[in-house]
Amino acid sequence: MAPREKLRTETFVTLADTMVKDFDIVDFLSMLSSRCIDLFDAREAGLMLADPDGRMQLTASSSHEMRLLELLEIQHEQGPCPDAYRTGAPVQVADLTEAVARWPQFAPEALAAGYRSALALPMRLRDETIGALNLLRVEPGTFPDEDITAAQALADVATIGILHHRAVAESHLLSEQLQYALNSRVVIEQAKGALAQKLDLTTDEAFDVLRRYSRAHNLRLVDTAAAVVDRTLDAAVVATERPGG
Amino acid sequence: MDPDRLATLLSDLDNDRRNGTDVGERLCDTCVEVLDVTGAGIMLMSDGEHRGTLGVSNGVMTVVEDLQFTLGEGPCIDAYASDHPILEPDLGAPVTNRWPAFSGPAVRAGVRAVFGFPLRTGTVNLGALDVYLDHPGDLRTDQVSDAVVMAGVISRTVLALQADAAPGELPPLLDATVHHRAVVHQASGMVSAQLDIDVADALVRIRAHAYTSNRPVNDVAHDIVDRRLRLD
Repeated sequence: MAPREKLRTETFVTLADTMVKDFDIVDFLSMLSSRCIDLFDAREAGLMLADPDGRMQLTASSSHEMRLLELLEIQHEQGPCPDAYRTGAPVQVADLTEAVARWPQFAPEALAAGYRSALALPMRLRDETIGALNLLRVEPGTFPDEDITAAQALADVATIGILHHRAVAESHLLSEQLQYALNSRVVIEQAKGALAQKLDLTTDEAFDVLRRYSRAHNLRLVDTAAAVVDRTLDAAVVATERPGG
Repeated sequence: MDPDRLATLLSDLDNDRRNGTDVGERLCDTCVEVLDVTGAGIMLMSDGEHRGTLGVSNGVMTVVEDLQFTLGEGPCIDAYASDHPILEPDLGAPVTNRWPAFSGPAVRAGVRAVFGFPLRTGTVNLGALDVYLDHPGDLRTDQVSDAVVMAGVISRTVLALQADAAPGELPPLLDATVHHRAVVHQASGMVSAQLDIDVADALVRIRAHAYTSNRPVNDVAHDIVDRRLRLD
């Protein structure tokens, strides 16, 4: 196997492995950007993901050199990345000197930073496009077809990783919210019972007292309830908000 | 399960959820049909405690769920705690009787084989799916794998319901699930104040009283809240 081919295979294995073990999205994408330079004839690589408003945000890059970061960040709205994101298709520019009219802000900045050609590949799964992978070269010319195919394959793997990570994060957040809401509901009922007992009230009256006390002290109902249940808040103190009292 | 069938099932459930249909019961009926079992029930848990029954397919399952809530033991509780399927093919003559208090009344209610599957979402368990047979017997391998798929479908549905609620709140269907046991939590608060013990211990006392007096835990809790019963 040719050295570059071997490296490509290794990259896929590493990416897959990263997705299984202790997945860290930032490490994962930084690794992907760095590998792009070794795998393809590119000087630098950057990865941009769309925020919920569809604006491109720089997420990872092959180096942290200021000039590169600025160049990538210029592409909030304009440049090969947003174009690849919007169209869902690869965007290739063999000579950036001919792209000044197309990207009046990006192209001159890229040329000033020493880049002559660029490739942006959409990060897409089925009908959902989430961002773009950007490769920059110092020489003019097109990227070899096999590089474009391999880079697109890497972008595809990364897209699956990101979407999976998002789905897991969302389900984790909802699970936590559900657990919290269940526990809150229970602790409020427990506090109603404890206050009803201590203040000789019905549970409805106890709830009223609990609510008045929380409002008067600008506390969340669930926090007052928890304090009553674990007995850090004395029922007699809560009773200062007794109905009519 | 055939992927087309699963896709249809998921899209039907999504429609039901959007229309506000009681998806708890719907999920249980779907489990009975897909898994070819006698009955199914879904239990929600948090902090290691049974928080309520999201749905049951029949009256026997109501008994099973009530027993598990009262006793704090049974297939759902074990599936939740162990994070693994729990398989008991012969509840009437088990090799090891893992649920000494649960087994007798469950068999008398008509449960002869019972199986629990955790509702797992990443690192958090949401509860468990229980299914039973009215005759002793193992589930086939395809029934077990379909039950695991159905547990995933249930978890997904529960989280989709939660996604519609404001943070900190429960969606109406899940709120109703917990509401059924509200009186028990109120009674725990009262007993905790009466006996100067913590609420978890108070719940244990209430459950023990329900078990020894052979009464539903909700009835005992009502008596406590209405001051007709005082534990000591």
